[in-house]
Amino acid sequence: MTITAPDQQTAASSGSETLLEARHLVQEFVVRDQGGLKGGVVHAVSDVSFEIKSGETLGIVGETGSGKSTLARAVLQVPRPKSGEVWFRGQDLVKLKRGDLLEARRHVAMVFQDPYSSLDPKWRVSDVVEEPLRARRIGTRAERKRRVAEVLELVGLDPNVYGSRRPRQLSGGQCQRVAIARALTLSPSLIVCDEAVSSLDVLIQAQVLNLFEQLRAELKLAYLFIAHDLALVKQVSDRVAVMYLGKLAEIGPAEAIYREPFHPYTAALLASIPSPDPTVERIRAEDAIQGEPPSPINPPSGCRFRTRCPRAQDICAEVEPEMRMLGADHSVACHFPLAGEAENPLFTSTAPAAN
Amino acid sequence: MIIGGQEAGSPAQTLQGGSLATDAAATNGSVPAAPPLLSVQDLTVEFNQRGRRVHAVNGVTFDVAVGHTLAVIGESGSGKTVTSRAIMGLLPNTATIHGSAKFNGKELLGLSEKELRQHRGPDVAMVFQDPARSLNPTMKIGVQVTEAIRTHMPLSKEEAKDRAIELLQMVRLPAAPQRYQEYPHQLSGGMRQRVMIAIALSCHPKLLIADEATTALDVTTQAQIMDLLLELQDQFNMGLIVISHDLGLAASFTDEVVVMYAGRVVEQAPTAQLFSAVRMPYTKVLLDAIPRLERPSHSLLPVVQGRPPDLVNLPRGCPFNPRCPYVQDRCREELPPLTEGEPRHKWACFFPYHEGN
Amino acid sequence: MAVQVPEISSGSVELAGIEAIAPDQRGVLARKGSTLWHNSEIALPAAGLILMTLACFVAPFVFPIAGPNAGNLSYSNILPLSPGHIFGTDPLGNDVLSRVLYGGRVSIEVGLGSCFLGFTLGGLLGIFAGFKGGAIEVVIMRILDMFLAFPALVLAITIATYLGASELHVIWAISFFSVPGFARLARAHTLRLREQVFVVSSKLSGQRDRTILLRHIAPNVIPNLVTFSFLFIGIAIVVEAGLSFLGLGVPPPQPSWGNMISVGQSYLASNPDLVLIPAAFLFFTVMCLNLLGDALRARWSSL
Repeated sequence: MTITAPDQQTAASSGSETLLEARHLVQEFVVRDQGGLKGGVVHAVSDVSFEIKSGETLGIVGETGSGKSTLARAVLQVPRPKSGEVWFRGQDLVKLKRGDLLEARRHVAMVFQDPYSSLDPKWRVSDVVEEPLRARRIGTRAERKRRVAEVLELVGLDPNVYGSRRPRQLSGGQCQRVAIARALTLSPSLIVCDEAVSSLDVLIQAQVLNLFEQLRAELKLAYLFIAHDLALVKQVSDRVAVMYLGKLAEIGPAEAIYREPFHPYTAALLASIPSPDPTVERIRAEDAIQGEPPSPINPPSGCRFRTRCPRAQDICAEVEPEMRMLGADHSVACHFPLAGEAENPLFTSTAPAAN
Repeated sequence: MIIGGQEAGSPAQTLQGGSLATDAAATNGSVPAAPPLLSVQDLTVEFNQRGRRVHAVNGVTFDVAVGHTLAVIGESGSGKTVTSRAIMGLLPNTATIHGSAKFNGKELLGLSEKELRQHRGPDVAMVFQDPARSLNPTMKIGVQVTEAIRTHMPLSKEEAKDRAIELLQMVRLPAAPQRYQEYPHQLSGGMRQRVMIAIALSCHPKLLIADEATTALDVTTQAQIMDLLLELQDQFNMGLIVISHDLGLAASFTDEVVVMYAGRVVEQAPTAQLFSAVRMPYTKVLLDAIPRLERPSHSLLPVVQGRPPDLVNLPRGCPFNPRCPYVQDRCREELPPLTEGEPRHKWACFFPYHEGN
Repeated sequence: MAVQVPEISSGSVELAGIEAIAPDQRGVLARKGSTLWHNSEIALPAAGLILMTLACFVAPFVFPIAGPNAGNLSYSNILPLSPGHIFGTDPLGNDVLSRVLYGGRVSIEVGLGSCFLGFTLGGLLGIFAGFKGGAIEVVIMRILDMFLAFPALVLAITIATYLGASELHVIWAISFFSVPGFARLARAHTLRLREQVFVVSSKLSGQRDRTILLRHIAPNVIPNLVTFSFLFIGIAIVVEAGLSFLGLGVPPPQPSWGNMISVGQSYLASNPDLVLIPAAFLFFTVMCLNLLGDALRARWSSL
């Protein structure tokens, strides 16, 4: 089996073709108490649906307990979600048998948060990057070596210098590049980035983000970009999904989410981000969001955000809000969304919007 | 530029930082009467790491006044945490420390462990990054707070308990009397950090150091905690040092910013001035690299190549020269000193950045 | 009681801190052997052990040392530092130096033997149990726990009584707790490694479990087993000495440090060196093993 340049089939298609569609994903974990008995169920992901188009970047943002990382893993079936469907290249990954799943996994790769623990400390960089090929017995030795060199160069690492190094000899940013190289080896059409830059220093983070953008342009990659930093997510994404306690609060174009958030939680997130501009008047945190995040084991009834929402009413405790499309490709799950109000009342800036 | 439109001398609380009385006085041209609360002069710290000398802090100088909020910003390896640990006397024996750090005129460096213990709590207190590791997981919350109280105050157990619950309520820990009986693992990260703050404030310190205190928290919780810190600072008229890598935090919550790189102060200015008229190329580069909500999707960030400097082998001249987009020959030869180029604005650069360059 | 879900540390600065201190670009060997001074904590105990091994196994062929049982009653109880017998002779006239060196062979053989068994069998079981989890893990570990619960001394007595005391039997007896010991350690490390992201990544790459065990898990567990081995060999040697002292180990006239001490007890007043010399050898060997094991553990800090 020969190794080809980035898969021309999917890459060349127009950006409007759906690459991945997740439907009603549910993931739960059983928590065991001391005696090994079932103590409770963590509702990590509850009925989440979204789609990613070819070449598109979908950002998923959420705080601790939102379930965003669990969602990423569920999409990749590590482990399989409790229920739901993940349609990728015409197949439902959830239903696939081991062999078919292996084949499907050729086209999607993942980059993780911790650059050091995502590489085996005993392996050399070239071996790490080669692994996907060797595991599937693709190509001859010479072909694999060539691909490894190709991919290392794509991420800006000289294969002659870095190929024989071990993770211990690399910095965090370099390790992350190696992880990205490994993700690119099989020419995937989708890369899932789970907090891939969160552990990096600001300047190094900027380098790696730029690398993601360059690769996106060159290889027509689609990304599922997961992070807790909304500014970061918004900057790299075409569309953004906001998660809270296992549910999707809002999903829409990145710019729309920022300019005209519909969900109070999104507004609270935006208000909480400290802006690197002292002239921007900051809202008191208490006005945007109250209290502590509830536990995912016993999520609040009805709307899960109601215990912290400044706009909550009785109905929010009784009826769970459905996802409704209120704008162009912009949906929200809220009984009292912020839509229709001229400007986000929770977020004002005295300075002109910087470009 | 006036921040928040506050009048000089007004004690009203602002969202932008602690009391502005000192700022106003200084802008009037008069020197603040009292000596600064904390005065760090030429602080140098070196470590011995397997035969290699690590130059963690290389000549750091700054002051913190009463009621003033100072941000110390830097990436990893900048020396900001080592600096704060040096002030608190928390560095291991393998560290070689030179220079001075005076608290209300009294030298802190070189104090014995006994003297340091008297000093920590009533004078200076610190809130650390990871509350999961700073709190003892085997002790109840209440016990940890009362322990902190009784170390410095001769109170009975009952009195200490009352005071502890008062403190927990002051930091807005929900259901404080119940939480008193709980263990750290039963609280969320934000709540644990509130407990840490309560412990830090138990003896009414005059200076509070928050070392990456909100880094491990969610952004919404971070906002709540920062609001709390500023309120308490105002209430107790403390000096506050916020150590972070997040320039956004500095912009929103502090009066003055000190930027560190490779163990040195490379820029220092009142917050508004730093952001409106940044001079040090490193600070500029840092500002440009922060993801911003205003930027359109898929915008490429202006990046610098390279990595943070090797603290064992610092480059000759300015430590930023290998990565600086404005580097010139002189930068590679001489070390630029920290000079006050504009009123209250210091930087360490021969060719500072000016808008329109 | 609220059960807390583990929080993802958002932007852990400590981790990013690795960026700052330049990673040591030198290769592994260059670092380890760079200066003898910096590696003295490894070099010195290692040298001590090599010396001891050579002395016990090679010296009798090289130097004119009498056999361990080639004594003559007419030469009994000669004090040390006498011509021809640098360590003196025992009550039967045997050269103490010779006996202590041959005795060392026993100790080293027992130490290595029981450790080898533990390392291979225990390591294998531990890694397998840790990786597979579920019922397999429970069954394997509980069986091994049973072995561990067995009082070692009673076991040794039983074996010695019914099968006779010998070096081999001592190895078996010690293996009863070396195999579970190594297995536990291997399992603990495997559990830790299993959660590491590179294992997940490997699975996503399509790697089979068998390959993951062989290529990822084992190479990262083995260094920990190796450092434990050094400490364990020391334990095994002391146990053997103890058993031989009690008469449950190597039977006389074959020398062992333990039985030499046992015999020498009665002569403590007149010729204390009969006890002190084997004890000193024992002490030196175990100390070197402990120092080396500790130094290696400190040096090879795992992920």
